[in-house]
Amino acid sequence: MDLLVKKILLVDDDIDLLEQNKLILLSKGFQVVTGESGAEGWSLFQKEKPDACIVDLIMEQMDSGFVLTHRIKKTEHGKKIPVFILTSATYETGFKFSASTEEEKEWIKCDGILHKPVVVEELITKLENFTPKTN
Amino acid sequence: MSETKGKILVVDDEKGLRIGTQRLLEDENFLVDTAENGEQGIRLGIASDYDIAIIDLKMPDVDGLEVLKQIKSIHPNTICFIATAYASYETAIESTRLGAYGYIPKPFTPDELIYQVEQGFRQRQLVVESELLKKEREENLIEIASEKSRLNTIIKAISDGVLVINRIGELVYFNTAALKYFDLDSLSIGDSALKHLPAPIVEIIKKIYSPDQSLQKTYSIQLELKSNNALFVESTCTPILQNDKSIAGVVVVIKNITEFKKIEQIKSQFVSMVAHELKTPMAAVQGFLNIILDDTISIPYDTQRDYLVRSVIRLKSLTDLVNDLLDISRMELKTKQREITEIKLDEIVHSVSQMLELELKKKGVTLITHFEEPMPTIKADANEINRVFTNLISNAIKYNKDKGKIDINISHSGSYVLIQISDSGIGMKTEEKNRLFQEFYRAKNEKTRGISGTGLGLSIVKKIVESYYGKIEVESEYGSGTTFKIHFPINTN
Repeated sequence: MDLLVKKILLVDDDIDLLEQNKLILLSKGFQVVTGESGAEGWSLFQKEKPDACIVDLIMEQMDSGFVLTHRIKKTEHGKKIPVFILTSATYETGFKFSASTEEEKEWIKCDGILHKPVVVEELITKLENFTPKTN
Repeated sequence: MSETKGKILVVDDEKGLRIGTQRLLEDENFLVDTAENGEQGIRLGIASDYDIAIIDLKMPDVDGLEVLKQIKSIHPNTICFIATAYASYETAIESTRLGAYGYIPKPFTPDELIYQVEQGFRQRQLVVESELLKKEREENLIEIASEKSRLNTIIKAISDGVLVINRIGELVYFNTAALKYFDLDSLSIGDSALKHLPAPIVEIIKKIYSPDQSLQKTYSIQLELKSNNALFVESTCTPILQNDKSIAGVVVVIKNITEFKKIEQIKSQFVSMVAHELKTPMAAVQGFLNIILDDTISIPYDTQRDYLVRSVIRLKSLTDLVNDLLDISRMELKTKQREITEIKLDEIVHSVSQMLELELKKKGVTLITHFEEPMPTIKADANEINRVFTNLISNAIKYNKDKGKIDINISHSGSYVLIQISDSGIGMKTEEKNRLFQEFYRAKNEKTRGISGTGLGLSIVKKIVESYYGKIEVESEYGSGTTFKIHFPINTN
């Protein structure tokens, strides 16, 4: 694997899912750091400077994941790395968050949505295809 | 004696003639009044509606033509005869002009008189009958007019918008509600309705007017007339068919369904939440099983076993969630059969604490009870009250500190029983407190990590308490404990 991504930050308040995803990513050769809340995720991001972030959407609040990714994407380092939202809230369950309006685009800064359970191949493709936004 | 035919007034200054005429007519079954001069003739003729008046032309005080004029002015349908010996062409014309029916030259024979009077009487009957018909017709017209205005008033008053469109798309009727829904200041009869109506309605109207008869039916569509759920309407278009099945027009009825839409949205949001809450534990179980089955990931036996145990715990929480959902749905549908009995609350507390003994022991939590004597009883369904105490006490254990305590205090408070359940637990932040009874809300912070729950327990408690017209309140301070207070009405009967 020729990926530039070595270290991934995983943030999820469901400790079972967190552990599973960590295990899967470790088995694919990634380094993994884990946080169980938005606040913990934020401090780990600053400390660890990961090469990618995967953040659960619904944690303390319905939109904790968006708040954290927004914060990450405002940093210089955050702009250079892929940041994904992970959720089981999908279109089929009635949640819609396609960034269609200008306001939503302004707000939702993540580079993509991943659905639970994580399919590693899909994740790797997304990491490979990532190009940092210039603006 | 046969019944009287009609009422006749005889006006003549000549007594003999007056009496003679009266007797003759009375013999013919007429009712006869007499006047001996013009002035009396006018008075009587005006006072009642005679069928016939026979008026002498030449009288010393008032002229017969004047009497005729006066009577006719009040009772135009009284048949008047002018009787005179001085017959002349001019008086004949003048009397006819003034409305006299006929002219009786003096002297007359009884037969002549009776013949004339019979003629007049028939005329009178015709006139009266036609008067009656005319009146009836006028009354019918008034009725129709008032029926129309009544319908108008009704259609104008209803809150649904109503528009009627003819076969060439012109507006033939509308009410003010219709204007309001389409945000139009004014419309006129004859305006092209198709220009003013929203495109989807116009489409339907065109479909109804199409030559294809199978399309000529009633259509309903829902339209968002103002965005952000401000105005949703359901528009129903119904063709008006003529006897030959051709279309005379279309009736468009606009109904405001904004409130229904809002309820529908709340419902679908709830379904979304449920779907999400169901998917999360399933994803966790699936994830564990996938890892165990994945040959590329090697994990020791003990870890595998741990994952299976954790899967079982997640499945148990899934079952709890489904049960809570079923309870909520039963409560909302009110299909739940209630068995109302007299309930001793101390007994309920006792049995619930026995049931939760294991959990109490695990955390080392002590439960202290204070029951005011005499213990108030309430009338309710024992299962529901049991549920209230189970949910609240189990929360008080779950969110307590290790070796903490729970105080349960039950006392009288006016016509209510006051139930207070306090714990020495982790407490709540104000923001968490505000959302506490919301479905699926679970306080998530560093202290609640690892505490499981469906997020429905307190919402069920609230629903039960309120269904008995009780009230639930919460007092809490972050870090130092929470108190739930329930005011439950004492049923006196």
